Amino acid sequence: MAQKKVDVLIIGSGHTGGMAAKILTEKGIACTMLDAGPMLNFEKNRELKPAHELPFRGFDAPGRLPHVFQASEFNANIWLDEKVAPYSYPPGQTYNWVRVRSVGGRSPFWGRQSFRHSDYEFKSKDHDGFGENWPISLKDLAPYYSRVEEIFRVTGHTDHLPQYPDGNFIEDNSPWSGAMQRFVDAGKKLGVPVTKPRSALGKDGLAASINLVIPDAVATGKLTTIPNAIVRKITVDKKTGLADGAIFIDRHSHREMEMKARVVVVAAGTLETTRLLMLSEICNSSGALGHYLTDQIYGAGIICSVPEARDGKAAHGLMGGGALIPRFRNLDTKTNGFLRGYAVNVSCSNGPFDARALPFYGKELDQKLQSYNGSGFSTDIMGETLGHYENHVSLNKQVVDAWGMPTLNISTKYTTNETNMTKDYIDTMAAMAEAAGFDILVKNYEFNPPGFSIHEQGTARMSDDPKKGVVNKWNQSHDMKNLFITDASVFVSSGWQNPTITMCALAMRASEYLAEEMRKGNV
Amino acid sequence: MKRRDFVKGLAVATATAGTALGQQYPASQAQNPPPAADAAGQGAKATPPPPAATESRRNARMEAMSRFRSPDIPVSQPDAVAMTAPRYFTAARYATLVQLCEIMMPAGDDYPSTAKTGTAEFLDFYIGSSPVEQQTMYNNGLDRLNADSMKQFKVSFAKADEKQADAVIRPHLKGWMNNHPPREGQARFINLAQRDIRMATMNSPAWSIAAEAVGDRTPGVGLYWHPIDPGIQRWVTPGHGHAAPATNHQHS
Repeated sequence: MAQKKVDVLIIGSGHTGGMAAKILTEKGIACTMLDAGPMLNFEKNRELKPAHELPFRGFDAPGRLPHVFQASEFNANIWLDEKVAPYSYPPGQTYNWVRVRSVGGRSPFWGRQSFRHSDYEFKSKDHDGFGENWPISLKDLAPYYSRVEEIFRVTGHTDHLPQYPDGNFIEDNSPWSGAMQRFVDAGKKLGVPVTKPRSALGKDGLAASINLVIPDAVATGKLTTIPNAIVRKITVDKKTGLADGAIFIDRHSHREMEMKARVVVVAAGTLETTRLLMLSEICNSSGALGHYLTDQIYGAGIICSVPEARDGKAAHGLMGGGALIPRFRNLDTKTNGFLRGYAVNVSCSNGPFDARALPFYGKELDQKLQSYNGSGFSTDIMGETLGHYENHVSLNKQVVDAWGMPTLNISTKYTTNETNMTKDYIDTMAAMAEAAGFDILVKNYEFNPPGFSIHEQGTARMSDDPKKGVVNKWNQSHDMKNLFITDASVFVSSGWQNPTITMCALAMRASEYLAEEMRKGNV
Repeated sequence: MKRRDFVKGLAVATATAGTALGQQYPASQAQNPPPAADAAGQGAKATPPPPAATESRRNARMEAMSRFRSPDIPVSQPDAVAMTAPRYFTAARYATLVQLCEIMMPAGDDYPSTAKTGTAEFLDFYIGSSPVEQQTMYNNGLDRLNADSMKQFKVSFAKADEKQADAVIRPHLKGWMNNHPPREGQARFINLAQRDIRMATMNSPAWSIAAEAVGDRTPGVGLYWHPIDPGIQRWVTPGHGHAAPATNHQHS
């Protein structure tokens, strides 16, 4: 078959690649979307099974996924095997790079928490002097947030908090459970807002690119989707200096293919995107490519028991529900010891109690589990980490993946900013739990290694200044006007928020801008 | 299902499948020799295309096979008929582990002991196949349990009574959460071993049978993802080379 030049090549089919495909094809632009992994077949690939039928009784195969704390024997096959696609980090600087490689990327498996960034994030440097502001504000992105929230069917409560911008919600007006109300009241006394969670309901049990946005692109008849296509290089027209296509490798046969494109949209997921730009030796006139890697700390928390709920004595409506505490530190006042802030996921459970939290064994543990059943109350942190220049990735040509491509060395570490933030968080949550009358059983000040949150951001950040960033405020490369990056590699700072909704809003905005530029003949 | 029934079912199903295939295809075709395994050899022989009638039979067979659906043959897990022989831990450590399993998860009225769920045998296999850090934690932890018991009571942990075992376990129990078990060596071992023992026991086939017998829900049911798409084996070398020109190649 003769090689043909496609209008837009989209590399990656996750939330932002899918969004780009939807917007561009609906504007009449033909797109070809490549994904490095296979197409998922939900009927064939998964089924309900009891653990005793699995080879390792629910433990995963020994040593199989050492950096994926989220892995179990049930889901082990969805994560990318690091023996196939290795990466490295300096001694003592563990990084948990958690990847999925199938059409839809990580989008079928995300946590669905759906938040807007506020201008405390977009204009963070104005507030505390660290890092850089984004070249956009909430006002620029608000209309796109609304459309994305409609697609994802985001449920939430309107709270009128500037650090927790309201959105286009399916309004959640459900009442608090009794225990949760006590925690809300305890928060009020300490100036800590406890709000309803915000979450994507999605459609038919899924909130992924493959069911929310890609089908719209397919319906236009203008999308060509090619799985198992591992892009090893974005090619450049030597005459114009613009991107003109890509070379990819078939995952199974290792056959190398070349394709030509008028425009390239890179949406491979933060670090894969940056790796591809590095492999292609493009988009780094600023020197910022690969730098300012950031994410969020997870893992620290407290576990409590609500005394009145023990021994099956919980009154109707006492237990149940979740809450979200949006950032409340360093807004109008300064907190000693750390910059930025954290949010908190709160869970009030009327289900089984976590055995790990109870320091007993044998029949005594069983009795305690029976007694504590339905009385659990716990919190988890989502804390912003700082994107220092030193937190960076580089190519490791000594270690190649299964397709012979150099891998990434990820060099990042947390500082006292994160440890001080976590101490403040645990102490504040413990004070609230005590004030609410809960028994605190566990206080864990330790957070998980960088990468665990699966919210890696930065390394190809946006900036109005071509000397400081890789893309401009439209996600357009400063170096190649026909190359756009739509994933979270363009983030300037991480905020505390789950990044998905912001990624999608940026991808939608960038794609509409691109379509208009193509129509005008500027790209 | 009882083993006798299972064997009977298997024999019937096998015979049925064989008979069905025998009915579909003429005996002469079933006896055809297999094609040459060597592709180069096939090329050298320049075998002519098969006659149309043969090709038609081949296509009919292929279409029939494509319509074939999996037979319903009940299967059992190996634990129903066999045990794993311990072979990783030393005899002393294994005896300590067996005792630790029984103490951490004693038999209940309706649920089996860890001896019946094969917990220690499973952990011997699992830890024996695990990264060295985990093996070291278990080996050191089991040794320490034994040493503490000997020091305090002059009796091995494997032979300690409940009170003696409690004295060497309880000081190390801590509440923990998420991915953060205690860091201190013996506390880390005791708390992680307890987690492993509970999981290996409650996710065993014997435990599941006990749960069903008393009308409890089958424990540990989850959404299992099969391998999504095998095929990452490398059959070619990346960046394949160029054919070398023949030494006697001549240009016209």
